[in-house]
Amino acid sequence: MSNLLSVENLTMKFGGLTAIDDLSFDAKNNQITSIIGPNGAGKTTVFNCLTGFYKPTNGQMFLHKEDNKISLRKYTDFKIAYVAKVARTFQNIRLFPAMSVLENLLVAQHNELMVASGYSLFGLLNLKSYRDKEQLAVDKAKYWLDIIGLTHRADDNAGDLPYGDQRKLEIVRAMCIEPRLLCLDEPAAGLNPKESAELNKLLKFIKTEKQTGILLIEHDMSVVMGISDHVVVLNYGKKIFEGTADQTKNSKEVIEAYLGVDE
Amino acid sequence: MEKKDIIQSFKDSLFTGLIALALFGPIVGLRTVSKGEGLFITPQWGVVFLLVGLCILGRFLININSARRKEFKIFSTLSSKFSSITEDKAKHFAITGILFAVVFPFLPFTDRYFMDVAIMILTYIMLGWGLNIVVGLAGLLDLGYVAFYAVGAYSYALIATTFGWSFWICLPLAGVFAAFFGILLGFPVLRLRGDYLAIVTLGFGEIIRIILINWYEVTNGPDGITGIPRPSFFGLPFKRSPDEGETSFHLFFNLEYSTMHRIIFLYYLILVLALITNYFTLKIRKLPVGRAWEALREDEIACKSLGVNPTNTKLTAFAIGAMFGGFAGSFFATRQAFISPESFTFIESAIIVAIVVLGGMGSQTGVVLASIFLIGITEMFRDLEQYRMIAFGGAMVLIMVFKPKGILANRKPTILMHGDKK
Repeated sequence: MSNLLSVENLTMKFGGLTAIDDLSFDAKNNQITSIIGPNGAGKTTVFNCLTGFYKPTNGQMFLHKEDNKISLRKYTDFKIAYVAKVARTFQNIRLFPAMSVLENLLVAQHNELMVASGYSLFGLLNLKSYRDKEQLAVDKAKYWLDIIGLTHRADDNAGDLPYGDQRKLEIVRAMCIEPRLLCLDEPAAGLNPKESAELNKLLKFIKTEKQTGILLIEHDMSVVMGISDHVVVLNYGKKIFEGTADQTKNSKEVIEAYLGVDE
Repeated sequence: MEKKDIIQSFKDSLFTGLIALALFGPIVGLRTVSKGEGLFITPQWGVVFLLVGLCILGRFLININSARRKEFKIFSTLSSKFSSITEDKAKHFAITGILFAVVFPFLPFTDRYFMDVAIMILTYIMLGWGLNIVVGLAGLLDLGYVAFYAVGAYSYALIATTFGWSFWICLPLAGVFAAFFGILLGFPVLRLRGDYLAIVTLGFGEIIRIILINWYEVTNGPDGITGIPRPSFFGLPFKRSPDEGETSFHLFFNLEYSTMHRIIFLYYLILVLALITNYFTLKIRKLPVGRAWEALREDEIACKSLGVNPTNTKLTAFAIGAMFGGFAGSFFATRQAFISPESFTFIESAIIVAIVVLGGMGSQTGVVLASIFLIGITEMFRDLEQYRMIAFGGAMVLIMVFKPKGILANRKPTILMHGDKK
């Protein structure tokens, strides 16, 4: 199994506060790598560094693409998603609430559609080549909506969906950019056990069928232990443990710092 | 209604009357008149009692009404009926509207005054549609839209008076210049949102106006530019006696000369320009760039995470919105034949923003209704002179009370998966 992402000596300082301290870990292709740890351990900061929202103080992040590796530090902002193909979701759902479900998925395919529409010129002329491309984009959206079972609500506003469906929609919206690495920030937060189980199924599907590496931040241990191939545990910005789910469950440091002991 | 309620509301109205007496007594009742060497007080108690009486009566009526819980019920049913009609039959409504606009100049009651008001309303509709791209779709609150209107008008005026080029060449040039200024404004404000953006754009509008006043060598300062060429009907000017070797409109079509010909032509010109703006907006809204505008309005961070370039997206919105402002500006210049910085004050921006917001952000039909309503109201109350701004303000308050999201606030998805079932 080849490496997909390697994070090397990543450090992020906000003034005097060191949010991430010399963190190194690898994520492999077609695997789910979970990052867990107590609140304030720096998990979301790792994501923000990876997806270009923060510029890390120190360290390197590489995305391996066949034989060459590209440094994520070179890309900022929207280019992470556009060029490096790293997609993410957010801790607080960030859909486009007043736009329809289908439109949400089409915005995710913006860059391809923009080229297909000749930067709006062919689109304004209503050329067939553009209409065909748009139909392909709609088909792709329909494919993902079928998977999460929301096809019948495609024309409703995204903001009108129930919470669990919004979570799933955000994940498939990120999948519409055809990412190589998908970063999910607490996708199971606020879901009931049934919805969590559905989420597990969806993530396993993405991992096996779409050959996409997944990086997961999660507090819900039923999700983490159920689907993770690899677990990285953070505490105060430092990596305190790394291993498989079973190893993590039985590690003394992790139990002390995060999982807790039974009375 | 019970007897107790009536007594209660009667007491309440008497109390209101007491307050009214305390207020109107000194303010209205004691009138100072200057006679010769001093001020004298002339009491006018009759007026005071009339006003107090009105207050008591008004309060009493309101009390009775609210006791019956019928307060403003007529208004809300009216407005809900109104919106349901327009939602269901938006297409019919649009077609009827356009047909009416086309035949309007030939209706029996249409005179010069009506035509002028109609041209003014259409200009504001076009400006509203242009600004709708920036405010309604991209969600960038622009309080300096009049700047692009001014840039368009001045570009047209300067090019036309200096080079003597025809309207149809100057019009696109004016649009290009305005779009350029749109990008110029766009760059520094890329990082700003909401209130901060509004303040900067407001400043930009003022900067342009002050440049127009002070750059005397080019813009002729506060004196403005005179003698801007009138548009011609595809080369046929609207003149009573054409120059040598020239045929004028009425001679070519063998008509009696009338000043109305030019007015009617201007009317159709702005109608076509406005409809082009509308068509363009409706089209581009369904293209990727239009969806990106709306997505940017909804959530900029999510846009970035999906690889949408926010810089380009915002700049295109500014540029295209400004371009239509520029077109409207050059129309304004050619209609007036005279422009000066006075025509491009902040109040114009405010009216255009009001039209977009009251119409319902992003709603094209809403802009039409709001323009007719706002411009029509100010025209209707022209006899009230300075008090007509009160009517204007009152109209805005009424819309905001009964339709807080604008007259037509429904948004239709740009693309449907299951077709139009509803």
